Amino acid sequence: MQCPICKKPVTLRDPEAPFCSERCRLIDLGNWASEKYVISSPASHTVEEEEED
Amino acid sequence: MATKDTGTVPTYDSTSIKVLEGLEAVRLRPAMYIGSTSESGLHHLVYEVVDNSVDEALAGYCDQVNVTIHIDNSLTVVDNGRGIPVDLHAAEGVSAAEVVMTKLHAGGKFDSNTYKVSGGLHGVGVSCVNALSEALHLEIWREGSTWEQEYERGVPKARLARTGKAGKKTGTKITFKPDTTIMDAQVFNFDTLAARFRELAFLNKGLTITLDDEREDPAKHVEFHFSGGISEFIRHLNRGKQVLHEKPIHFEGDRELPNGGVLHIEIALQYNDSYSESVFSFANNINTVDGGTHLSGFRSALTRTINAAGQSAGLFKDVKENLTGDDVREGLTAVVSVKLPQPQFEGQTKGKLNSDIQGYVVQLINEKLGEFFDKNQSVMKKIVQKAIDAARAREAARRARDLTRRKGAMDSGGLPGKLADCQERDPERCELFLVEGESAGGTAKGGRDRRYQAILPLKGKILNVEKARYDKMLNHDEIRAMITAIGTGIGKDDFNPAKLRYGKIIIMTDADVDGSHIRTLLLTFFFRHMKELIERGNVFIAQPPLYRIKKGKTEKYIKDDKEFTREILRRATENLVVQYGIETLNLMTLEGSELRSFLMQLDEYQQLFRRMERRLRDTRVVEVLTNAELSIDTKADFADEANLRRLAAELKKAGVETTLAREEEHSSWLLTFEDHTKAVRKLDVELAALPEYRRLRTVARSTARFNQPPFVVTRDERRETLPNWRELLSHVMSEGTREVQVTRYKGLGEMNTEQLWSTTMNAETRTLLKVSLEDLVQADEIFTTLMGEDVEARRKFIEENALDVRNLDV
Repeated sequence: MQCPICKKPVTLRDPEAPFCSERCRLIDLGNWASEKYVISSPASHTVEEEEED
Repeated sequence: MATKDTGTVPTYDSTSIKVLEGLEAVRLRPAMYIGSTSESGLHHLVYEVVDNSVDEALAGYCDQVNVTIHIDNSLTVVDNGRGIPVDLHAAEGVSAAEVVMTKLHAGGKFDSNTYKVSGGLHGVGVSCVNALSEALHLEIWREGSTWEQEYERGVPKARLARTGKAGKKTGTKITFKPDTTIMDAQVFNFDTLAARFRELAFLNKGLTITLDDEREDPAKHVEFHFSGGISEFIRHLNRGKQVLHEKPIHFEGDRELPNGGVLHIEIALQYNDSYSESVFSFANNINTVDGGTHLSGFRSALTRTINAAGQSAGLFKDVKENLTGDDVREGLTAVVSVKLPQPQFEGQTKGKLNSDIQGYVVQLINEKLGEFFDKNQSVMKKIVQKAIDAARAREAARRARDLTRRKGAMDSGGLPGKLADCQERDPERCELFLVEGESAGGTAKGGRDRRYQAILPLKGKILNVEKARYDKMLNHDEIRAMITAIGTGIGKDDFNPAKLRYGKIIIMTDADVDGSHIRTLLLTFFFRHMKELIERGNVFIAQPPLYRIKKGKTEKYIKDDKEFTREILRRATENLVVQYGIETLNLMTLEGSELRSFLMQLDEYQQLFRRMERRLRDTRVVEVLTNAELSIDTKADFADEANLRRLAAELKKAGVETTLAREEEHSSWLLTFEDHTKAVRKLDVELAALPEYRRLRTVARSTARFNQPPFVVTRDERRETLPNWRELLSHVMSEGTREVQVTRYKGLGEMNTEQLWSTTMNAETRTLLKVSLEDLVQADEIFTTLMGEDVEARRKFIEENALDVRNLDV
């Protein structure tokens, strides 16, 4: 597993898991707060879906 | 002439020693003079003696200090300085050395002519050490002779006596044994002394300090000598760390003080990739743990200089505000060392420098660091970038705090306005539904049991910036509302499970791609910031139905495609018989559960077949690839040319021309053919490794026994002959749906309140999926991939997981 922010290796047992540090945790939370996390799907995705169905 | 010379070239003799005070008080109240009688006080005695030697080094007369701890915990300090003056002190009538050893506040350092700069740690001098020692032996080499004197608890046993010849050797040797009736701590700590001596050696470039511990057998020995001075100190502090620039930045300079003295400033600094600051400040070798004017000057000048350098290099285009002191000190390791006559300290522990020198330090840094940055643009850019990253993190932290602050869109009770809360107050019995979409939220509000079910609708905002894509995200207010509603707070320190307001937090989203994206976002957020909730088993996923099958008055809700197929096949095969093997003249009958499992396998077969068709763009090729007789499964199969020749022959029979070629990369063979768009497609080891291909081959083999068309299907006296498995499957499916009404739900909003209640929300009849930590590790991985700007990684990920793409919910 990697820290979502700095990509350092992390294990689930680490105190700040899945982050490596309090700082990375805060940066991540700040990213959520400033709406930086977006899942995009291409508009053509819908076409693919229909093709599949 | 001689007397005039003493005015300009300071001499170090009995006239340099001024007498201030007696010794009795020291034994009476030792803590007032050396801080304590415990460990720190004990070591303080050593530093007091060593500092005298270092003062000689500072003055340029000494480059060797040797310290030895003896087996009885007595200690010897030897230096090669000038030796304490031995001539008669005019005012006291005894040797100057005896004055130094017996009079408090007596010493060369109180006469600024003798030592321009002196540690003068606590200003008590070596006489304190003498007063607190049960025995002290003094030996001086000076002016060609050896001089000795013995003391007991500060009292001389005899006058200083000339005991031998010293030749050219000069220096002072003091051996003392701390008084066990006064000192609570009596055992010297090797590591404590070594650490301090290392520091002194760093701070005094060229000085050698050795430490021997004779209590150990064999004796322990360390030697400190750093020609690099405080730059080496920096390297020492940064050892094992990833540094931003290889060489510490080092500069020094002298400034004339108004009182005529000279201030020497030396600074070294280096950045590492950590986030912590490690700055040491020293004034006359004393570690000023509470900082002071030299440190504050350093800090303000560093901030100013880095800001100025970044500004003129145009590095702040995306940065709104100036970098703060905290920003520029992230990952900073620095040593600030000043040396000046008669330093002023503040506070009980004298750990803070008070002399008015801040302006000189600022001036020197502005000039020298600015110059360094001009000449070393790449180092400057790295440092500025690091500080910009720190500023961004600070900004992120501010926003993060904003998320958990209770203000704004909350109603008077502090809860989000959009939350439809429940009546029950016992959290154990309460449930919070996080519902995607306003209309579904409305339906859920109508359908819930308001006694213990609360609803929080989430929009999962959809942006469509360039009309090229659909973007899903949780907006700021929604995350805030969610955190507030859940009640526990977030983060390692603030999370409090006792404040959890709902025993079950249930994510309820549409069973489509948008819904699964919102679900992935929510799960990722929980995983990253409310992991404890998952560990405690508080988070669930609702299972809204995808299909409704209605026959007469009975309804059945189905949650996914696989279950739907199973249900339809179950209904169709209740009174249906399939006969196969007509061509082999061995007619066999298939019915009941055996028939159902065959048809279920055909359904999977069909899906796999379609995937392979999409990949290879030629149905005939896929058809041949399902031939169970061919050896085309493993990497080894593709290494054998004969296997590929047989495959080519079969393809030729089906009307596909192929080319056989050697592939050196995998030491194997491959076939290529042209699809209908004239694109060249490969049948090679990579194909053999593909999950859907392997599964297709497996299913083809396991269905081969029954897959012997044509099939004769008999149901209710009606009989039909079907030429292949595809038509068999579609015929049976249509038989299964003939007498029922099928609804496929595109979203939660298509259900009415009663339907949503009975299928998804009613605790008596619903099924919930409990979210496990393992699920979330996966969700996070998916999220990171879906989030990533790396389009290639995203495409590859989806392709690699193609076989399970439905289960992955992407």
